[in-house]
Amino acid sequence: MNAIDGTDHYEAAVEGPAPSLLVIVLDTNPHAWALLAPTLPLSKAIANILVFINAHLAVNNANQVAVVASHCHRAVWLYPRPPTASEDVEMTEDRPLNLDDANKYRPFALIEESLLASLRDLISTTTENDISTTNTTQMAGALTLALSYINKATITFSDIDTSSKPTSTSLENSENTNGLQSRILVVSVSGDLAHQYIPIMNTTFAAQRLRIPIDILKLAGDTVFLQQASDTTKGIYMQLRSPQGLLQYLMMAFLPDQTSRKHLVAPTQEVVDFRAACFCHRKVVDIGFVCSICLSIFCSPPEGAICLTCSTHLALGDYGAKPAVVPRKRKKKRRVNGVDTPSSRVGTPAPGE
Amino acid sequence: MSVSSLASFEYLERLPGTTFKRLYQQPSTALAIFRRMLPHLAKTFVMALLYMSKPLPLTDLDLWVQPNSKRQRDEALSLLSRLHIVTITAPSKEMPQVVSLTKTFGPALRLALTGGGDYQSFGVPSSDASTANVSLNYLDEYARTQWEGILHYVVSNVGDGMRQTTQGPTAAVKQLLEAGKLVARGRHSGGGITQAGFSFLLQEANAQVWTLLLLWIENAEQMGMDSVEVLSFLFLLGSLELGRGYSIATLTSSQKKMLTHLVDFGLVFIPSSESNQFFPTRLATTLTSDASALRSVAAGFDAALSSAAGAKGFIIIETNYRLYAYTSSPLQIAVLALFTKLTSRYPNMVSGRVTRDSIYGAIAHGITSDQVISYLSTHAHPQLIKASASHGGGPVLPPTVVDQIRLWQIENERMKATPGFLFKEFENQKDYQSCVTYAGEIGVLVWKNETKGLFFVSKMEQLRDFIKSRKIK
Repeated sequence: MNAIDGTDHYEAAVEGPAPSLLVIVLDTNPHAWALLAPTLPLSKAIANILVFINAHLAVNNANQVAVVASHCHRAVWLYPRPPTASEDVEMTEDRPLNLDDANKYRPFALIEESLLASLRDLISTTTENDISTTNTTQMAGALTLALSYINKATITFSDIDTSSKPTSTSLENSENTNGLQSRILVVSVSGDLAHQYIPIMNTTFAAQRLRIPIDILKLAGDTVFLQQASDTTKGIYMQLRSPQGLLQYLMMAFLPDQTSRKHLVAPTQEVVDFRAACFCHRKVVDIGFVCSICLSIFCSPPEGAICLTCSTHLALGDYGAKPAVVPRKRKKKRRVNGVDTPSSRVGTPAPGE
Repeated sequence: MSVSSLASFEYLERLPGTTFKRLYQQPSTALAIFRRMLPHLAKTFVMALLYMSKPLPLTDLDLWVQPNSKRQRDEALSLLSRLHIVTITAPSKEMPQVVSLTKTFGPALRLALTGGGDYQSFGVPSSDASTANVSLNYLDEYARTQWEGILHYVVSNVGDGMRQTTQGPTAAVKQLLEAGKLVARGRHSGGGITQAGFSFLLQEANAQVWTLLLLWIENAEQMGMDSVEVLSFLFLLGSLELGRGYSIATLTSSQKKMLTHLVDFGLVFIPSSESNQFFPTRLATTLTSDASALRSVAAGFDAALSSAAGAKGFIIIETNYRLYAYTSSPLQIAVLALFTKLTSRYPNMVSGRVTRDSIYGAIAHGITSDQVISYLSTHAHPQLIKASASHGGGPVLPPTVVDQIRLWQIENERMKATPGFLFKEFENQKDYQSCVTYAGEIGVLVWKNETKGLFFVSKMEQLRDFIKSRKIK
């Protein structure tokens, strides 16, 4: 009984880790899932993700979750479902079956039900025309939805928090208890997203500012910009070699929230592809042209040497001339070998030479 | 992790392994223990291990954890093994140490996450449609009156001419409070509230509920109930939804017996007319929420429990020991009266002084100075908090008052006892050193004397394993 005295208690109560909000962006690109079907069908992936969501909710009572689908032509909320009058009727029909199951924790059952229902809706409303006209996914739109949801959730959360508690705790350790900790998990299957370069990078920088890590779980394909997104926001990037083990990857690498990540060694990517896409043809370029005024990137000099973004007239200089790097390097070497100068001073040749 | 969970911890840790085996059969219990009792890092470990097909070598786990978080890792692992959630194989020469979830906990938690099985452990909702007349407000109000009745009984038992509550708790609850030594009857003239009782009052509502429930569990065995069944029923209650009726018919007979007690505590509500369904109140549904979760639903919870003034701070204490408390709640006033000399009372405020005699009086009841100070600082008026924040986050209470209260106590008390284990007679200094550093790392070291080669720890299980593993090497 001695252990429960008041002093211990009030110190410890402040320490409780903040609840976290997990927004999952699920890439539902039909083309990519069709390719993946032999190793990991969509239904199995969804089942794994549902267990992962339950695990996230089990960690803390106040944990929240939201799921956005990035479909081929639009980004759609899967959970929470946007309120619509027509769908309510549909839902009540199959409700009593699963929700009142005494063997399932009710919050889990609620989410599962609603997520599956909206996913079914999404798939049934996808027309053949939708699929045939594009083979990519609206990742940028989905990320934007996720960010705006996080913003909204953070505001509502901090409202409750400040009104119910005296200000002292939030003043003292604003780092620890500044409300909701949010993160985004992108389950990506599509390949190239170059045509969405600008919006994706914009959301990335917004997330970086808000300190929201973007975790990327890549089941198939490879996208340059998602790598960059997770790198700038200090998220986790993982490309699965065996998609069958999806759940274990999710549980081990992506479940820990910011609080526990401080104690863990996160899986990192050794090489980040930092290439950009050009503004004119949306091609990923290694070397390109950059407008000196607005820093827009082009794969070839724009027509008439006028920048497409800011319309500045640009002078190309002697484009195409061989870079003078090679001869200079040789010079340097010769000097090192011939004259015995201390190596640290070799770097900058004197202007007179 | 809050202390309320610590209280239940200490109780759970004392249970034998077979009890755990039976407890973990219910998925709801596994989920509740996972959610409520474990520190954050331990939860991460459990989740990582949950769907792992093979046991994880301990060295791999070490690689996963940042080197400077070793202490947190050790604490988490030791707690997990004490709660019989993971098994760590004994260190030996040929096999590396591996860690895995126990055969009982792992499947139960997996079932909790995926659903399925046939344990009915998340409550069977009542199909009766007559739920309309039980509103959330009514449930909150009901829980509040029941619980305040109990708190009032604890306080007013001091007998300082406090008025007798007209509607006190039932005899069973009174008995329980006495059995738990929260109140003592018929001791010397001042008798009544005890030290345990006072610390009980100081806790937040959720912790109070747990304290009382644990007392009840301990006594349950004498009443012929099985503590495992009681515990799993409580965890079941924690997973129910507020404002929904659940059917009584599907409960076992012992669970039905428990319901009557829980009604006394205000944890469940049974409409008298039709007794085939029960409604859990907010006290019950938040049983398995932890501190941070409570903070976010605090609005509702505070409304349900703490008397209006208690939710916010209401006490102003000045450097001249004068105390002003903006409250009209008889409960709060009664608590204050335990350690202050109240002089005047107004409709919304009482004022008084903290004096040497009043603190002596509190100490005579077994209340410690730390408890008084923590009570004052948690209930400090926003003005005091603002003042301290403007001085760059200094102490909330005037330091002179805090020091003086401590000094008054020290005048009498000079010893503190810590139960634990003394280690001595090490073969050499190196053995001693490594054991001491290890004990320090896992946070059990209480005292050491390097010259004599002695040290004292509060818990020894992990240290014993450590010494064994050294012997093998």
